[in-house]
Amino acid sequence: MAASRMLRKPISDRTLCTLFLVPSLVILAVMVAYPFLSLLINSTYRFSALRSNVEPVFVWLDNYDFLLSDPDLWDRFTFTGTFVVLTVSVQFILAISVAYYLQRDFRGRDLLFTVLMIPMMLSPIVIGFLWRYIFNSEWGLMNFFVTRLGFDAIDWLGVTDNALIAVVIADTWMWTPFVILLAVAAFRGIPVSIQEAATIDGASPFFRFTRLTLPMSAPILGIAFLLRLIDSFKQYDLFFALTGGAPGSTTETVSFYLAKVAFSYFYTGEASALAVIQLVIIIGLSLIFVRLLTRIGRQRQ
Amino acid sequence: MKKCNRTAVLSGLVLGVSALALSTGSASAQGTSLTFVWHAGTCADIFVEIANDFPGDIEIVPALVPYGPEWHNRIASEFAIQGDGFDFAMWDSQSTAEFAGAGHAASINELFDRSDVLDASLFPPASLARYGEYPDGSGQYWGLPINQDAYGLMYRRDLLEDPEEMAAFEAQYGYPLAVPQTYQQARDIAEFFTRPDEGLYGWGQMGGREYDFATTASDSFLWSFGGELYNPETFEVDGYLNSPASIDGVQFYVDMFQYGPPGSNNWGWDEINAAFQQGRLAMAMQWFYFNGSNADPDVNPHAESTGFGVLPGAIGRDGLFRRQFSVGGQGVGINAYSQQQDAIQEFLEWYFQPEQQQRYAAVCQTGLASVLESPEWQDLNSFNAAFAVALNYTNDYWHLPEYNILLDILQEEVSNAISGAKTVEEALTDAAERQERALVRAGYTIGESEAPEVPDTVISPVGMQEVEVLTFD
Amino acid sequence: MKNKHLILPVVILGLYTLYNVGPLLWLMISSLKSRPDLFAMPPTLLFEPHLAGYEAVFGVGAAADSASSHGVFASLINSIVIACSGTVLATMFGTLAGYAASRFNFFAKGDFMFFVLSTRMIPPVAVMVFYHQMFSSLGLADTWTGMIMITTFINVGLATWIMKGFFDGVPTEVEAIALMNGYSRWYAFRKLVLPMVRGGIAATAGFSFIFAWNEFAFGSILTTTEAKTLPVRISSAAGATGIEWTQIFAAGTVLVIPVILFFYLIRRHLLMGMTFGVLGKKG
Repeated sequence: MAASRMLRKPISDRTLCTLFLVPSLVILAVMVAYPFLSLLINSTYRFSALRSNVEPVFVWLDNYDFLLSDPDLWDRFTFTGTFVVLTVSVQFILAISVAYYLQRDFRGRDLLFTVLMIPMMLSPIVIGFLWRYIFNSEWGLMNFFVTRLGFDAIDWLGVTDNALIAVVIADTWMWTPFVILLAVAAFRGIPVSIQEAATIDGASPFFRFTRLTLPMSAPILGIAFLLRLIDSFKQYDLFFALTGGAPGSTTETVSFYLAKVAFSYFYTGEASALAVIQLVIIIGLSLIFVRLLTRIGRQRQ
Repeated sequence: MKKCNRTAVLSGLVLGVSALALSTGSASAQGTSLTFVWHAGTCADIFVEIANDFPGDIEIVPALVPYGPEWHNRIASEFAIQGDGFDFAMWDSQSTAEFAGAGHAASINELFDRSDVLDASLFPPASLARYGEYPDGSGQYWGLPINQDAYGLMYRRDLLEDPEEMAAFEAQYGYPLAVPQTYQQARDIAEFFTRPDEGLYGWGQMGGREYDFATTASDSFLWSFGGELYNPETFEVDGYLNSPASIDGVQFYVDMFQYGPPGSNNWGWDEINAAFQQGRLAMAMQWFYFNGSNADPDVNPHAESTGFGVLPGAIGRDGLFRRQFSVGGQGVGINAYSQQQDAIQEFLEWYFQPEQQQRYAAVCQTGLASVLESPEWQDLNSFNAAFAVALNYTNDYWHLPEYNILLDILQEEVSNAISGAKTVEEALTDAAERQERALVRAGYTIGESEAPEVPDTVISPVGMQEVEVLTFD
Repeated sequence: MKNKHLILPVVILGLYTLYNVGPLLWLMISSLKSRPDLFAMPPTLLFEPHLAGYEAVFGVGAAADSASSHGVFASLINSIVIACSGTVLATMFGTLAGYAASRFNFFAKGDFMFFVLSTRMIPPVAVMVFYHQMFSSLGLADTWTGMIMITTFINVGLATWIMKGFFDGVPTEVEAIALMNGYSRWYAFRKLVLPMVRGGIAATAGFSFIFAWNEFAFGSILTTTEAKTLPVRISSAAGATGIEWTQIFAAGTVLVIPVILFFYLIRRHLLMGMTFGVLGKKG
């Protein structure tokens, strides 16, 4: 065995690199390139895949023009943006404070840790129903506590602002564990020796956390942030289950609207254009963020 | 070292098993099987139970989907790729235009021609039209009435027939308390029974933004007050949807929420059922579909004292009485791309026999005339008699391939009116304008006509002078 | 003195645990309620447990022979095969690509990292028709292979990014020393670097499994009967009584168990943290 390994010519870094990248590239080529090209091409047609009896009409950028000149779409983008900012920031503040204490060893930590991870493991479909049940104005657990505490019952899902808060509560419940897990992994990854050195130097815990722990775990936290950013931008299930977009369409996210155009109206061309717009925005945001992340990474080095 | 190996072995095992299963999976027995798509529920359950007894060599395989957009999406997506992932499907009445209009559904007229058993005369003409005809009045059918449904009224007999309550009501309102025949009466009764301190409310109705919750409910008011959604001949929406009569109806609907539980204005059918079963509602608008469970003491503790009736009508601004409410239910359509048209025909010929339909009618609502006309059917439960009458008053919204976008616009604007973001008039005017724009974008030409104050006088049968009283006892 | 230090951690962890566990308990309690108990106000805590929801999920007892029970077991097998295979593949591909991205410079590397993340950015509804078309013409619709491709696809971006993050945490000196000592890079990767990122692999596999197991959007359109996964199968829980809440809650409870088991199996690796931790302890 050993002899044969010695005899074989070692693989060059170049080949190794190529071999390592091939599986992902194949997936990307098949599963991303094809639908993405279809999106681009279809977005220039007035076309419904369902109404195959109607000939597609090439309309250049008319679909984009139609969508971008629709003030309702901008409302949806604003609402989505508000939701993303709220939910991601709440999740990070919560997750980092919990992870800070969860990184230490204490009795029952493993069990607590596993239990705290459960919300993100649940099926999103079930989570939608669960929170709709909890937020029901008449028999929901939420209003039970609200009225027990002496406040008036709250119409959680019938008022735009309340509904936004309700969905943020549900989304935070579901996804904070994701951030906690990555944050704990990142915090625990920091060499004990560095922490100890800082402690001996007399650095306060707050100083150690903000000047040492956070910057050193920035790469992983950054990835967590990026993934949460993308996912919450796409959030649709919870709004669908909790509000259905009501009142009016004030709690409709872009993804929600996209789902309607694509599958309910079945305007394939218009939906493709909207998907491209959404992708451009997500890619743009991510790009800015990744640049920032790389800069932090470089500074660290 | 050891651990690494174990991981490798495990992953290998998983992949191996998958590969093995793949090869066996594709080689599974190929007897004739027909796959159908429907949303899950009691009706799908009983359908499968009956289908399992089919004597021929055909297996009926359910591909059930959740009630909601996945149901429509699953069917639409298969049609969009012209695939044969399912052989037949039960779709909502309004989808016929969408699916048949694009040629995805096999013609039922041809099925009637081919078949010695199946024929248009087996079904009530109105039912066949409701669940299968497109375009309206063309005589072209694309579905068979497999599961009929209509909007209905359920009420608490122990409240509405209580002598003390009756006396108190008459003293207060000057006429006897009875099952309401007009929405005006319904409002009085709802107001009378709205007692928040007792946890009791007078009226439950849906206002949810999902699917067609707010639209089917508000349409029932709109039509009864003499309004119309549009003019099907000229495709005008402006002047019809926001006609004074239409506004009257939707305004009445919006006002009725004050007699429901606070926060109930975004409810759907499940919340209405739950609230009614909890004894929180004296009356509720609900689909007949759910009456089976609302008459079941295991589900509804008030089942013994629950009455089922027909929804009220209304006296419109022209002084005429009209009664019209939304149709529900599904037709069964055949996938035009299915390779098994003969097997489908064989199965449907058997399934639409009285014997099978009687079994179905015990749980859900059949569309077979001979069963519907039989006296046993009417006595089968406490709501069939009312259902048979209710079928005469049903109406449906747009039978156009683009109904989904029109529906979504109306849902949004009615929701705006319910939440108070807009007045009813503003909401309906905005809806009319947006719907016309959507129609133009879809290639329709909007004609011009003189929109009357009460549009129902030109489009549907005119109302009647007297309030028509329907009772079922 | 020591107790004073404990107040903040206990309060923060305690409050969060309450927020986190409360709804979970409510889910499990409600899954055992009868319909009247479900909507009682104030909520009932003592009630006669009903197993109807669980019977419906497994298609046994009162729910046996109903259409809703059709193929539940088959879809459980589908789910296990599809989610596990997808997880293994995505983690494998992600580990390889993550390593390459962490250690090598290659043409358009930044673009690649971005491109790989696009598997997560694309909204499923927007591309569903195209996938359906592609799968149908390749004979992949309603097959395990097709769904395994999907579960791999949705996770490969996440896996690559997380793994790159963990590889970045391993000093390049590890391989440099190995190479100097005459070992190949492949050997250094397999025997030295990989064990150091065990925690990362475990986390990646854990996340991938969660997303693969709960995948719904693609499954609900691209499968019909043969490859239908459990979440898709049991999501169809609306019946004559309305929404079958107990069935949905029971399904949620049942569905989460395999994931908890999976997490329990990999918990050690998860908590091991990153390489530095390992090195730190050794050093």
